[in-house]
Amino acid sequence: MTESEKNLKSERIPPVISQSKISTEANQTGTWRFLRPGYDEKTAPCSAACPAGEDIGRIEMLAAKGDLDGAWETILGENPFPAVCGRVCFHPCEGVCNRGEFDSAIAIHGLERFIGDAGIRKKLSAPVPRHTKVSKRIAVAGAGPAGLSAAYFLARIGYGCDIFEAAPEPGGLLRWGIPQYRLPAAVLAAEIDRIESIGVKIHCNSPIHEGRLEGLQRDYDGLFVGCGEGRPIPLKIPGEELALDGLDFLRQMRQGKETCNGVRTAAVIGGGNTAIDVSRSLLRMGAKKVLLIYRRRREDMPAFAQEVELAIQEGVELVELRAPVRIERKDRDCRLILGPMRAEGTAQDGRARILPADGEEESLDVQSLYRAIGAEPAADWLRPSQKGDVERFSRSRIYYDQFPIIFGGDLTNPTKSVADAIGSGKEAAMLFDTLFAEGREAIHDRLQQCRVGQGKSLSMEMYLSGRRKTRNKEEVPFERINTEHFTKAPRQNTPLPGPAHVIGSFAETEKSFSEGAAQKEAERCFNCGICNDCDNCRLFCPEVSVNLSDPRTCEAAGLNRQIDYQYCKGCGICVVECPRDAMSLTEETTPL
Amino acid sequence: MSRTAETIDTAELMYPGHVGCPGCGATIAMKLALRALGEKTMLVIPACCWAIIAGPHPQTSLKVPVLHTAFATAGAAASGLRAALDRQGDTETTVVAWAGDGGTFDIGFQALSGAVERNEDFLYVCYDNEAYMNTGNQRSSATPFGMRTTTTPGTNWKRSRKKNIVEALAAHRIPYAATASIAYPEDLMRKFEKAKAMKGGSRFLHVFATCPTGWRVPSEMCVSIARLAVQTNIFPLYEVEDGNRYTLNFKGEKPVSEYLKPQGRFKHLTQADMKEIQEMVDEDWELLMRKIGLDPCG
Repeated sequence: MTESEKNLKSERIPPVISQSKISTEANQTGTWRFLRPGYDEKTAPCSAACPAGEDIGRIEMLAAKGDLDGAWETILGENPFPAVCGRVCFHPCEGVCNRGEFDSAIAIHGLERFIGDAGIRKKLSAPVPRHTKVSKRIAVAGAGPAGLSAAYFLARIGYGCDIFEAAPEPGGLLRWGIPQYRLPAAVLAAEIDRIESIGVKIHCNSPIHEGRLEGLQRDYDGLFVGCGEGRPIPLKIPGEELALDGLDFLRQMRQGKETCNGVRTAAVIGGGNTAIDVSRSLLRMGAKKVLLIYRRRREDMPAFAQEVELAIQEGVELVELRAPVRIERKDRDCRLILGPMRAEGTAQDGRARILPADGEEESLDVQSLYRAIGAEPAADWLRPSQKGDVERFSRSRIYYDQFPIIFGGDLTNPTKSVADAIGSGKEAAMLFDTLFAEGREAIHDRLQQCRVGQGKSLSMEMYLSGRRKTRNKEEVPFERINTEHFTKAPRQNTPLPGPAHVIGSFAETEKSFSEGAAQKEAERCFNCGICNDCDNCRLFCPEVSVNLSDPRTCEAAGLNRQIDYQYCKGCGICVVECPRDAMSLTEETTPL
Repeated sequence: MSRTAETIDTAELMYPGHVGCPGCGATIAMKLALRALGEKTMLVIPACCWAIIAGPHPQTSLKVPVLHTAFATAGAAASGLRAALDRQGDTETTVVAWAGDGGTFDIGFQALSGAVERNEDFLYVCYDNEAYMNTGNQRSSATPFGMRTTTTPGTNWKRSRKKNIVEALAAHRIPYAATASIAYPEDLMRKFEKAKAMKGGSRFLHVFATCPTGWRVPSEMCVSIARLAVQTNIFPLYEVEDGNRYTLNFKGEKPVSEYLKPQGRFKHLTQADMKEIQEMVDEDWELLMRKIGLDPCG
């Protein structure tokens, strides 16, 4: 009996109403489309500014979701030193943070430290080396940040690596040049241990000198030289020998050999990070008064601005536009004679030209005097020459003359920082591997492929074809952030102790975030150019054409959503409502 | 962003392949509404854009039953549908009349007014695209002051104000009347959930739904325009319970010109016209604030 017969029988009036029984899915509305929206992950400006090329937007996204392990692993993909860099990096990332134009930049530096410390606390293990072992072996001269990074990345690609270090312990400048109040020894040790855990061998008390090159050539297929600059630049003034070397002072201090007893006034000559570190250390060791003497002005200092600020907050007195003329012995003190200087015009390096000014010379009596006006390579062969078969790259130089030798770190970096040294080590690892695997002519293109955004930084994730390898090199400008989807929120800050807590203490000065504050701060991140599953595209799609990806394919695609182009009419709402520019609208070219 | 894929119900009650224009705001409104209402919903749709978006016979774009009715009859048909369901003992299903501004403000107003005066147990939704868009953009009483339509063309752009439909419905002292916007999905879905839960009487939702085709704005700007309407207070988000308890959901601070300028339908307006519109918006806002019991300047 049919439905209508049943109705008749029960004497009910059948509904004389036409009914739709099929869905609109038969209509291929995708043919209407002349613009094609698509997921198009781009580069966050912070990431491009990071000398180590860290995928910062993704790191903060994972941290915001509470996935600290994932955030840590993402850092480790590009940088073996999160807990170190979270303390000593000058964080150029924060200066270009898009959120800075909205309210205030994300505390990327503090978050990196928080994530790095969590990695140490949880004893997370470093990413496993690539499955295929490479038969080639690389020697590394110097266990500083550049050498350690080069070895770390080479080991991850599959190379055998031996590091030769002149000092009794590894770390280079991280160990001997940065005081404990900025970088505790235990933190450094934990991160170096992790590099060793993936198979890197560190040979201490084993300096590489010119005489060993021949032997190395026999045992290894390449050499990375990242010895840094160990010889201080002299002041070239009478009485020079009365001033102690700043770097040497920091080294002695780390070995517990230096004291400051009875020092009323100490003076430090220089304007770089070493000068600042020496000044702040002297205060901590009990010097009553510390003068920082610089021949230029505060704004001309090569030291990182926030370090200068902290030093001044702690009580270091800055004496600008005074150049040392000579040093004399005065009883048990040193007498430093200073000449006045003036700034005028602009020199080639962009800073003001500094010329002697009219005026009286001043004299200054101090109990101890340090010079920290820079350093140079300790031996002539370490000074990378222009001669021979040499190729220059952003953060390293390669010599093909005998066997491939790459110079990196402070020896070649225009900016001498820990993060640049790490970037240099990574660049060297890519250079060696490309050279051996694809040949010299492939190097340029290969490096270009791995650039993070438009800058110099490189990504090992891209080099090793990880899931984020396809991100667009286009950097997301602030104008492309849809700020309607964000609310203003104050930046989380870590309280700084006052100067009173600093004297006599080498305990770490800056404190870390609490877990709650760290998550709150990470949540502020725009995640520029990166899909963080906010779901706006799917929420606003009028065509029901944005679908969650099949979990089996989502790992391969790297994204959790896909557009059904059978139906998508190309209205573009998803692209405009994407808060973070992780989508793009392009002209439709492919016929359905 | 606290919203994540996991917290959103992933089952959509709409099929793709419908024939709405690209970037149709009314379609977003339906999609969001059905997320909140769920599958135990029956729709009554009079003549309007949605009469065709829901599918030309024999197609349907919705996974819930739809009763297509004549232009003037959404209120009456919804009353009848409710009575039929009650007769069958089905009190769970929510009856939703889903009409455009023409079928609500103009042609269907009598049936609507009659039904809510009887306090019929349904939710009446007016998705407002501010003119008869399905038939090619003729002015309705929801068309705002200053808009050009095919029946208010050229220099004869509309010079009377938009009817305040929420106030008209609130005057019927129905349990719930509120505005919502496709640009504020959380707020919109919350109101649909609230209205669904308030069984036993008439509920009315006035949903602002951009029409990129008729308003002459790029389709991708659909949601941004709706957001600007709220941010400039030309379409305030608020709720009225029992006709006298007002709640404000959002306070806009932008000048109305920011909303008017990007739209082709207002392209002809001069600075003076916009100033006049701003004065109307300010006046309406002040009136609303008085009803809410807030200081209009505060």
